[in-house]
Amino acid sequence: MEKKSSENATPPAAAPLKLFGSWASSYTHRVQLALRLKGLEFEYVEEDLGNKSDELLRHNPVHKKVPVLVHGGRALPESVIILQYLDDAWPETRPLLPADAFDRALARFWCHFADDKLGPAVGAVFASTGEDQEAAVRQVHENLALLEAELRDGAFRGRRFFGGDEVGLLDVVLGCGSYWLAVFEDVTGVRLVDADAFPRFNAWLRDFEALDEVRETIPSVDRLLEYARGLRHMLLGLAGANAAAPSADAPTTAAAAPTAAAADIAVDI
Amino acid sequence: MAGEKKQGLQLLDFWVSPFGQRCRIALDEKGLSYEYLEQDLANKSELLLRANPVHKKIPVLLHAGRPVCESLIIVQYLDEAFPATPALLPAGDPYARAQARFWADYVDKKLYDCGTRLWKLKGDGHAQARTEMVEILRTLEGALGEGRFFGGEAFGFVDVALVPFTSWFLTYERFGDLSVEKECPKLAAWAKRCAERPSVAKNLYPPEKVYEFICGLKKRFGIE
Repeated sequence: MEKKSSENATPPAAAPLKLFGSWASSYTHRVQLALRLKGLEFEYVEEDLGNKSDELLRHNPVHKKVPVLVHGGRALPESVIILQYLDDAWPETRPLLPADAFDRALARFWCHFADDKLGPAVGAVFASTGEDQEAAVRQVHENLALLEAELRDGAFRGRRFFGGDEVGLLDVVLGCGSYWLAVFEDVTGVRLVDADAFPRFNAWLRDFEALDEVRETIPSVDRLLEYARGLRHMLLGLAGANAAAPSADAPTTAAAAPTAAAADIAVDI
Repeated sequence: MAGEKKQGLQLLDFWVSPFGQRCRIALDEKGLSYEYLEQDLANKSELLLRANPVHKKIPVLLHAGRPVCESLIIVQYLDEAFPATPALLPAGDPYARAQARFWADYVDKKLYDCGTRLWKLKGDGHAQARTEMVEILRTLEGALGEGRFFGGEAFGFVDVALVPFTSWFLTYERFGDLSVEKECPKLAAWAKRCAERPSVAKNLYPPEKVYEFICGLKKRFGIE
């Protein structure tokens, strides 16, 4: 048995890892992928997001969400925080963050962009129709254009992956989520990732998805499609119910409400 | 001054921004000199637009001309680029670091937005915001626990993330008809403790001034 340690001390590296997640959650995939890249064994617990387990709620009382990684009994919520924890706790093994302070700041900046801007924009495309959807699509294109520019002649020019020759934190964060682009295109009939407009982003995504660890992590396209079709159907039903309520920021609100519902129940893209 | 040139640190900022204040406090806690460059947000400078083309927002830290954006990213950058200065994220304890990141992220996700809704909205929206604000403050008080600061004995990352908002407590109290002292006495005590630190005293504006600023915003945007 392990020596008794203080309440808040970091567990020893050899302590067991248990991941609470949801099969369709890209945030969960980030952690699964990172654990695989670091060669770490873990137990996986599939959560029913419509009926969350007591154990999950105990481990993440503040946000009540997946993923949560429990290491030697200590709970770690929030995917990007978990990924940085893995680097801190296993610094010798396949680092996810670059060594240089400025490069680390850049990686964190674009991870935040992925979660704060790109993700919600893609979610808004998925949850809306008509003019609202057109506005959301423009937003997605603007966001992708920024990433394309960084790959072309900005911070990540000439690189195969955002992390360099090998995938890093930003690849994991952007990559686990970008597979939804093709799925949503199929379900909504809207063009999101034009290979002509975003050639480098496309090339990066193809290379990312070809990696063994990624293929082990991302669910099959068929499963994702079926899931997305069902979700889209439900979201449009909710959007219809919200359509009657006008507000100062109507376009965002109409998209946000179903997206918020979606984020809680299912796909955290 | 010799210090700024040597380290080459500049901060693009806006006086009342709690996000900017995080950076000012972190720089002072680390004893790093820097050039403060107040930005006109109604008429953004070329420098700002070039430094943060993606969001066009402050704060931006320029280190030898290279921009670092987003307040919490800036604070972590300062820890990593200046390892000889006092660390704000707990060094060498991965779980403690994760907890610090979690609570700083919680402040970012919850507090500013809820505060904005508190002074902007009326009716149900306002009532909802008030309930949420109390919950947020109580949750933060829970995270503080019995420690002097969020990290324990040492003033650190979460304290830096949250302390600028203590100048906004008065504004939340007036618009929310609530009392931080009454709802969260430990948090109120923590705020007083922080205010004694030179880095905090120097960089926060009096609560009345923040309240005045918000009232001015309300008038400008025609919010009754």
